[in-house]
Order: sequence, then C-alpha cells, then structure tokens
Amino acid sequence: MGGAPWKSMVLRAFGAYMIWPAFKLSLFVTFVATCVVVLLGTAFAFVLAKRKFRGRELLDAVVTLPLVLPPTVTGYYLIVLLGRRGVIGSYVYERTGWSVTFTWWAAVIAAAVMALPLMVKSARAAIESVNPQYEIASYTLGKSELETFFRITLPLASRGIFAGVVLSFARALGEFGATLMLAGNIPGKTQTMPLAIYEAVVAGADRQAQILALVLTAVSVTAIYLTNKLTGGRTQGM
Amino acid sequence: MLRVSIRKQIGTSRKQLGAERQTRSGNNERESRQAFRLDVEFMAASGVTILFGHSGSGKTTCLRAVAGIVTPDEGRISLDERLYFDSASGVNLPIQQRRVGFVFQDYVLFPHLTAEQNVAYGIRASENSGGLSKAAKRERARELLALLGIEYAARQYPRELSGGESQRVALARALASDPAIVLLDEPLSAVDAKTRARLLAEIRATQQRTDIPFLYVTHNVAEVVEIGDHVIVLDEGRVIRQGSPREVTLVQSE
Repeated sequence: MGGAPWKSMVLRAFGAYMIWPAFKLSLFVTFVATCVVVLLGTAFAFVLAKRKFRGRELLDAVVTLPLVLPPTVTGYYLIVLLGRRGVIGSYVYERTGWSVTFTWWAAVIAAAVMALPLMVKSARAAIESVNPQYEIASYTLGKSELETFFRITLPLASRGIFAGVVLSFARALGEFGATLMLAGNIPGKTQTMPLAIYEAVVAGADRQAQILALVLTAVSVTAIYLTNKLTGGRTQGM
Repeated sequence: MLRVSIRKQIGTSRKQLGAERQTRSGNNERESRQAFRLDVEFMAASGVTILFGHSGSGKTTCLRAVAGIVTPDEGRISLDERLYFDSASGVNLPIQQRRVGFVFQDYVLFPHLTAEQNVAYGIRASENSGGLSKAAKRERARELLALLGIEYAARQYPRELSGGESQRVALARALASDPAIVLLDEPLSAVDAKTRARLLAEIRATQQRTDIPFLYVTHNVAEVVEIGDHVIVLDEGRVIRQGSPREVTLVQSE
C-alpha cells in the first residue's frame, strides 16, 4: 500500500476502519467465487435441465438449499464439512496440517455456496427456454449432446446465463452470515465489506459504515439494472 | 432402400385422458383426436418418396421415427444394410449416427449463426482427416448455398431471410452433413404460394443432382404430383394406398 498520493488521500478520507483492504478483499473474493459459481452452476444447470436421473430433484434441492436456509445455518454446515474437525476438513488437516477455516479461501467458499443457487436457477431456466428443436436439428447433423450444448444451447441461452452471473456476483459480494461462520472476521484477511460494515456500526464509526453501505448499494442497484436489461429484452431462441 | 415397419401408440389413450381432463382442459380436445395407433410398413427407394396424408395421419411421426427423434414401440427400421431400429434385438441407433438430413417445417435455422455458418455447422468431420479446416468448411458451405442459388445470403442471419431463403439454407445444411437420406417434413407449409412452386422445382432438381433418396412428408396433392416418384398414403396411422402419383391421385379423386 502507500505510494500513490491518491491512495493515501482515499485512506485518510475513509478513516481507519480498514475500508480499503475490505474493499479489495471483497472484490477479489467475489471475483473468484463468481468464476467458480459460473462454471459449477452452468454444469449443474446442464445436468438438471438435460439429464433425467433418479435423485435429480434431490440434487436441485441440495443446490438450492442455501437460498432458503439462514446463512448462518449454511455456514454451520460448511464448518461441519470443512472445519478442522469436519467431515472433509479433518482428513485434509491430518494430511497437510492446513485448514481452510479463517482463510480467504473460506470466504470464497462461503460466497460461492451462497451464490450458486441463483446461478443454477437462472441458467437452468435459460437452458430450458431454448426451443429443443434447435438441439434436435443439431443432433441430426451428427453433433454430440455436449457439442450441441456448447455451440447451440449455450449461445442461445446466453442472456439468461449472463443474468445469473450478475445476480451471483451481487449475492457473493453481499455475503455475510456464512462468511462470518467459516472465515471469521479478520481485518485484512477475511474481513469483506459486509463484515466491515458490521464492525464499523458496532464500533460507532458511522461515517465508515455509511460509505461502505453506499458502495454496496451502488453495486447492487447496478446488478439489478443489468439483470433486468438482459432478461427483459426479447430473448433469442424462444 | 429404406425399410420401415413400425408400431407406436400416439397421444394419450382415452382412459388416461379421463383422469387428466379435470386438471388440464385446454389441450385435451386435440389430444383425444390425435390419440391413435400407428401401424405402418413401407419402403422407399431412390428418388422422392412422398408420405401423404391429412394432419394426424401419422406421417410426421414416421419421419421422426426414421430420424430417431421418436422411438417406436416396436418394429424395425433399416436403410440399405444399416439397421437403425429393431425392437426385437434392442437396436436403437442414436440420431447422430443415422446420417439423415432433416428439413423441418419451420426451418429451425440456428438464429445466432449466419446462413453460411448454419451450413458449415452441418459439415461432418470425416473420420480419417480429423475434420476439415475452417476455410475448407466455408468453401463447402458456399458450394452448397450456390447449389440452392442463395450464396448471396451467406452472411445474413436467419431473421433477415425470407421463408423461401430460409428453407433453401435449411436444405443446404441438411445436405452438408453428407446424409444417406434426406427427410423433409412439410418443407413448403410455411412458405408463401409464389415461392412454393419455385422451391418445389429446386428441391426436385437438388434431389436429382445429389441422387440422395428424399422422403417427403406433405398433405398437399399438388406437391405429390409435382415432385413424387412414389407415394405412400397414410390415414389414421395406416398405409391405405401406395403407387405412382398418378395411380394414387386417380383413386383419390374417385
């Protein structure tokens, strides 16, 4: 840090409550989480939309669960799974002496798990709205299901999928409860913007809380605007 | 030689409908009329074979069964030495492996690809060369568009094409996949009357130039006479007549 004069000015204006590190960490965590969510979410959406198998609705329910569960409950389950004494976490800890909890990885995982349902829902709806005739036409031309998905279905569903990306980004950026449970609230390490707001308010630093809240609000409003613009227009492939 | 001998229950049987009627009333009128048993046996050799019948006679289902889009309950479908479907031995070749060119009633051109890209998409990668280069595919696509007289539309997107142009692109795309047979499902029904006559002549000419057998579904007698070499008349899921267009239409008018 330091160096550029504008940066120190910004820091002075924002005060001591770690706004800049929180802002940087939030963007980084959200970016990584969104990338993971886009890949995983699209894969889940493909499987849920195109494959008929036993337990399909169960998979849908499990993936969607974080949307309806209190985030702290989701965070609790993540600890049970990934914590040092967790189902998977204990195995990793015994082997490597490393635990994901209280690292930025944990913040990424929490944000990704919370954002995944939005991506899966949007992408699945977008994929299912593509007229299956296009896929059949592609099959008659000798193309496999996977090639058809990438070259026909995905481009035709791109609006809805992009809307899912925007929503996931916004959700990941605002993640609080599960992050607090799994990653803690360590300034400069796992303290993202929503956590920094909480701490600022508790400490009575109203101005810092205000600035952070405004930044997050601006991002969310932009996300909603973009999503509406992308999904409101005439959709291809209907 | 295409040999088809299939049976399939179409639509919902009346018993099942009774339960459904209370919940969904809208579509059931249609469904109950369409519910019938398809039970057909026919052959199609070279040239243009017409599957003729009123809507709901089962002709489109036959075509889709040949393509592998729908699966018959039982029977056997083969083209030359290749077995497509055989319920007795459990054979059901996937759509991709049947090498059929399918021309849809409403074109079904990929909206995000230009006419040329639509055709190029259909070009099958040959097994030994590991696929043609992009330039070679483009050239082949241009040739096929030229064959149908629409290379001028190569860079246009489907939404910019007229019905007649769209159907030419669709036929070019079907031919691009190097099909063993071309299946056409009422290809002229979405085209205006003026274009219809010209397009019909072009389909006929294309068949003769490529010498690929065409199986052509229609309910229009004029098309039967104009383009058919052999006609199979379907009614309520059964073959009721077959023969040359003249033989069939003579009986029809009596």
